[in-house]
Amino acid sequence: MRFSQKSRRTGLFLALVSALTWTLASWALDVPPLTGRVVDLAHVLPAEIAASLTRDLDAHETKTSNQVVVLVLPSLDGDPLEEFSHRVASTWKLGRKGTDNGVLLLISLKDRKVRIEVGYGLEGTLTDLRSAHIIRNEIVPRFRTGDLPGGITAGTQAILGTIEGTYKADEVLPGHGRSSQEPTAFEYVIIGVIVGTLAGILLSHGLRHTRALLGSVLAFLVAQFASVGLGLAAAGVTALLLWLLLQANRGGGRRGGWGDGFTTGPGGGLGGSFGDGGGFSGGGGSFGGGGASGGW
Amino acid sequence: MSSRMSAFTTVATTILFVGLSGCGYNDLQGLDEDTKAAWSEVVNQYQRRADLIPNLVATVKGYAAHEKDTLESVVQARAQATGIQVTPETLKDPAAFEKFQQAQAGLSSALGRLIAIAENYPNLKADQNFRDLQSQLEGTENRIAVARKRYIEKVAEYNKSVRFFPTNLTAKYILHMEEKPNFTVADEKAVAKPPEVKF
Repeated sequence: MRFSQKSRRTGLFLALVSALTWTLASWALDVPPLTGRVVDLAHVLPAEIAASLTRDLDAHETKTSNQVVVLVLPSLDGDPLEEFSHRVASTWKLGRKGTDNGVLLLISLKDRKVRIEVGYGLEGTLTDLRSAHIIRNEIVPRFRTGDLPGGITAGTQAILGTIEGTYKADEVLPGHGRSSQEPTAFEYVIIGVIVGTLAGILLSHGLRHTRALLGSVLAFLVAQFASVGLGLAAAGVTALLLWLLLQANRGGGRRGGWGDGFTTGPGGGLGGSFGDGGGFSGGGGSFGGGGASGGW
Repeated sequence: MSSRMSAFTTVATTILFVGLSGCGYNDLQGLDEDTKAAWSEVVNQYQRRADLIPNLVATVKGYAAHEKDTLESVVQARAQATGIQVTPETLKDPAAFEKFQQAQAGLSSALGRLIAIAENYPNLKADQNFRDLQSQLEGTENRIAVARKRYIEKVAEYNKSVRFFPTNLTAKYILHMEEKPNFTVADEKAVAKPPEVKF
């Protein structure tokens, strides 16, 4: 009896806690999912206008690699416009990594507020001032007459026209995130193991037992550029290799067999897994708060 | 016998590496660089704001020359803010950091007053030049807010590493790193709210 009472109390407590965390979590407006280039949660855009906007934005990205997305919200639910806009753009990671060429056009109906959020890489062409002019001259006058689709279309076209010449698609696409100069994590491990093993064999010729130590220290030093964990893995592999070599050598002097160890190793896997399948997604761009806000 | 020795060596090596990875030498160095970069961005954006002010003051003067006190206090606050030398050393010295922060906060409030008096001058408010400067100022204030937020996050991460065991040993005895000063919550509230500007 007492037990059931206690458990009931615990249940009540848990319910209270979960209710509390739920309210806390819902305090800030959630970033909506990136469902396409035009995310119209307030349903103000007629289907054919949304479709033609999407087509334009798509063509623009193919040509220039710039990612521009339009988001129309019913309300900000009390969140500050600038903070929410930065949060959305950073979460969606619009623009390519490295060139940071993404733009978010955000409209909140109930608050009658509009903002253009500009990625780092476009701040030079789509300046705060230019963004403010687009809002002031293209968007707000149309919004004031109630022409929301017209304002959004004109604003988007002005944005695209401004950033048209900044980047070309082919400059960016080959790298696609990682510069090809830098070795991958896997390469670091392989190089580390090879360097460590060779050094272990060659350097400590007289001192057999320090081979494993010396070799694996070297392997670790090389592979830790990738990560400490991989450095440890490389060191472990090297130590094992050298130990095996030592075992083999003890019996019949130097009878080759050094190369054996090198055939092991996991197959690829770490390489490019960027497949931009069907859906649309951000490319890893970042935002530093550039752009402008306005209201109507 | 010899094989047992080498097995022992292997085990010893592994233990050594676990120790090495735990010490966080590289992580600390990386975090230190990150905080410096984040700090540069903060300083950069504050500088950008200071660069906008002479033009803004000149424009307001054209319409509201008799608002001498407000105009002068902005010029003075700007001189004070730009007069403070900001080097990475600032990050190691909480007092200098505090001074920098206060000078910038002083400039923020002087600017706030300047924008507020503009409300009383319809001609000024309608001036194209003034509106442009206002947009740029707003944009810069927003960037300052973002840069500060990033700095706060980076320093929090760095300070955690400097204080947590066992990385605190590396930080203290090998790298001689200390906690870095961070922006306080009180002025974060003031900054996070961008100045209200109505068109």
